[in-house]
Amino acid sequence: MSNFILRKAEPKDVSDILRLIKELAKFEKMEEQVILTEKELLEDGFGDHPFYHCVVAEVPEDKQSSDGYTVVGFAMYYFTYDPWIGKLLYLEDFYVMKEFRGYGIGSDILKVLSETAVKTRCSSMHFIVAEWNKSSIEFYKRRGASDLSDEEGWRLYAIDKDDLLKISAKKL
Amino acid sequence: MSNFILRKAEPKDVSDILRLIKELAKFEKMEEQVILTEKELLEDGFGDHPFYHCVVAEVPEDKQSSDGYTVVGFAMYYFTYDPWIGKLLYLEDFYVMKEFRGYGIGSDILKVLSETAVKTRCSSMHFIVAEWNKSSIEFYKRRGASDLSDEEGWRLYAIDKDDLLKISAK
Repeated sequence: MSNFILRKAEPKDVSDILRLIKELAKFEKMEEQVILTEKELLEDGFGDHPFYHCVVAEVPEDKQSSDGYTVVGFAMYYFTYDPWIGKLLYLEDFYVMKEFRGYGIGSDILKVLSETAVKTRCSSMHFIVAEWNKSSIEFYKRRGASDLSDEEGWRLYAIDKDDLLKISAKKL
Repeated sequence: MSNFILRKAEPKDVSDILRLIKELAKFEKMEEQVILTEKELLEDGFGDHPFYHCVVAEVPEDKQSSDGYTVVGFAMYYFTYDPWIGKLLYLEDFYVMKEFRGYGIGSDILKVLSETAVKTRCSSMHFIVAEWNKSSIEFYKRRGASDLSDEEGWRLYAIDKDDLLKISAK
């Protein structure tokens, strides 16, 4: 089954996008952490200023998944800025439903993303991978990816909403 | 000397922004890697679709730095998207010139960024810190920052331009 197309996501896709986000979160053992809604995905992705972009993989009706879906894979990305080199493409989520793997969908998605990055004059594509996700690490390394956390010792930090509110409220 | 203001960067600031980017890169032992130009900073930050935002710290003329500058600190940030929770503010660069530290400029900048994050309905502010940068790690931890690389085992990867071209051409 090599019968699939890749296309830019449209507003009608937000339901499938959320479904796939949840499936990927489940794979990462984090499913209960997805609190994003279809409404937010719609506003944030298809308003005047999109905060993310999506590519989706779709199969024909007669090739639908066992649970009845035709949108079987996606990648979510946005543009970031490196103060040393400029624009970067940041790959945030990338997932193909299990029953549709092995047909080149993932490779094709990465190709489309690479073309997008080059076309928009990005110097690099960045993304994070969980250190336990060996198969994904291999997939990316085969395509030239290097582990910046290893090479440069960078560690990702977060200040969450409650602490942001505390900081905002502080008198200085 | 507590005499400074914080303001949104304007097109006229790109020269100072690039200077401070280079100073920070020097501190990170990476100065030769800054190939960005003022022209790109101008197009990318002040066009129809800004790819980054900046806050700058400015002192009066009579308080200028020993090398004659009045823009003495900056933070560069942009908005990212977490598929589980939505919008995030991503703090990319954050630097105050050495002779102007200890006056609360850094704290005030972080306050402005936090307010911006809350106002734009971001769930969190993310940023990376080099694991050897103990004083910065302390600065952030005092304000509630947690090390996601530790907690969640995330590692940052890159596929650079030459490999992107190879993949595109496949």
